[in-house]
Amino acid sequence: MIDAQQLTKIYKVHKRPPGLAAALRSLWSRPTTEVRAVDGVSFHIEPAERVGFLGPNGAGKTTSLKMLSGLLHPTSGKVVVAGHVPQKRAHAFLKQITLVMGQKQQLMWDLPPSETFLLNRSIYDIPKRAYDETVAELTALLELEDLLGKPTRQLSLGERMKCELACALLHRPKVLFLDEPTIGLDVQMQATVRKFIRSYNERFQATVLLTSHYMDDVAALCPRVIVIDHGHLIHDGPLDELVKRTRPDKRLKLRFSREVEERELQGLGSVVERAPTSAVLVVTQAELQGAVQRAMATLPLVDLSVEDPPLEDVMRDLFAHGRAIQAVGT
Amino acid sequence: MAESAAGPIPESSSGGFASLLRVARALARVSAVQALQYRVEALGEALLTLVRVATAVVPLLVVFGQRQSVEGWTRDEMLIVLGWFTFLTGVLEGTLSPSLLAVIEQVRNGTLDFVLIKPADAQLLVSFSKLSPTRIVDLVCGLGLIVTAFVRMGRWPSPGDLALSFVLLLSALAVLYSIALLVVSIAFVAVRVDNLFFLFTSTFDLARWPTTIFGGVLRIIFTFVLPLALMTTVPALAVLGKLEWTNAVGALLGSVAFFLIARFVWLRSLARYTSASS
Repeated sequence: MIDAQQLTKIYKVHKRPPGLAAALRSLWSRPTTEVRAVDGVSFHIEPAERVGFLGPNGAGKTTSLKMLSGLLHPTSGKVVVAGHVPQKRAHAFLKQITLVMGQKQQLMWDLPPSETFLLNRSIYDIPKRAYDETVAELTALLELEDLLGKPTRQLSLGERMKCELACALLHRPKVLFLDEPTIGLDVQMQATVRKFIRSYNERFQATVLLTSHYMDDVAALCPRVIVIDHGHLIHDGPLDELVKRTRPDKRLKLRFSREVEERELQGLGSVVERAPTSAVLVVTQAELQGAVQRAMATLPLVDLSVEDPPLEDVMRDLFAHGRAIQAVGT
Repeated sequence: MAESAAGPIPESSSGGFASLLRVARALARVSAVQALQYRVEALGEALLTLVRVATAVVPLLVVFGQRQSVEGWTRDEMLIVLGWFTFLTGVLEGTLSPSLLAVIEQVRNGTLDFVLIKPADAQLLVSFSKLSPTRIVDLVCGLGLIVTAFVRMGRWPSPGDLALSFVLLLSALAVLYSIALLVVSIAFVAVRVDNLFFLFTSTFDLARWPTTIFGGVLRIIFTFVLPLALMTTVPALAVLGKLEWTNAVGALLGSVAFFLIARFVWLRSLARYTSASS
């Protein structure tokens, strides 16, 4: 469904030092520097896959997404999405894709979302019956019935995002590019949006490419992740593989029936969180079995669980590791 | 999800020109709804237009209070130029200005992404994204001024002159639109071009006078560089029956050339769109 080969985007950026003198100089002299926002990235995504696109701020995620959706022309490399070259912006291609940006909105601010829906119906040339059915479905799934008639400006952020999602899916696209769709939403609304994206993907066999800073989104939705940093692809594969490779250690979560002294935990692993009747220890994979046995034998346990490290920590370590390699290389 | 709604949307029932019309109609409808959302604003705008048209006639009255003609133009003939100018101002301020200024803003904040991702001609979507239906008042006043001028002159244009004038009005609109689109195209590279747009609309203000009253360099500029002559003077001469056919053909060819250049530059600019960061 999506095939990118050596995808590269270079921006020319005008840079100047701060201050009035530099601003005056820049009126006639504008030196530019090249920024390689995306640098030789290749990947292939099958139909109906849900893929997380991860990376720190400025890694090149959004630029990649915009090249895949035809908004930006790649500087070099090849990309094919749903059998089309995106930058040609063929109508047959645009009818198969959608783009949702958590930080920007397409709903008309002063009018109710239903008006933007109707405009999109005309633009996408959706027959009335199909339109009515889709709106009814989306309204039921996202609980929109009370929202569609209110002016957009009167909706809360979460309500607006639900309407944005519905608006972007009226034409039943086969490829969803979702750029931070849950940004700023409360936990409950994030869960609603995630559940909806998953059900849309399963129902329509739609391909989903998602960027998010909320690792819960990625963990809940994306069996596969593509990680880029400084425009380079640094991981492409299952999420658990990334976790194992980057942080092979496990977190041992313990709860006790009485207060436990620090010395009682010695030798089990390194303590990262501690309260009188609970503790979290980081243990290497090799030492895990022994640590569990010893804990069960020596501690007043009421609960014990073994978990992967939080995805946030994994990503932080991954990017720190990448930078360290780059620093050595330069 | 309901079983009946599964599967892709059926293929488009119409294409080409029909789809352009469908989208244009939808844009006009939503703009009208938008304008009517704030009733007081709409009423205020309509009243403001009436006042502007009324005050536009004052300079003519002042000039012709002293003399019978200016560079061969009588007061009533100039009223026809002012009529076309008012009509075109209605089109400019009612459609192109609000829409294209909105595009400049969209280029800056990156929401043009949502326009470019739609399966419709982006030029059409941005050109009529925001309309001010109340500027119909300008169109009515413009035509009213032209009718008044003919009533005062005690004669009516021939059907041929009227038809030619109508065709030249369309070519004037094409030129006006092309210039506005060229300015917006620059926004893709320069990002901030609001002032360039205002410079254009301010210069357009001079089209309320026949270009032949300007001398030397200005006349050349307003004929060939920024063709104000094509916009009001030529259609006015046509409706008065004073336009030579060679000039009419030249005006039509000129407007087609302007339109094609603007379309070409617009398409080139789209390729240079860099969007805005997330």
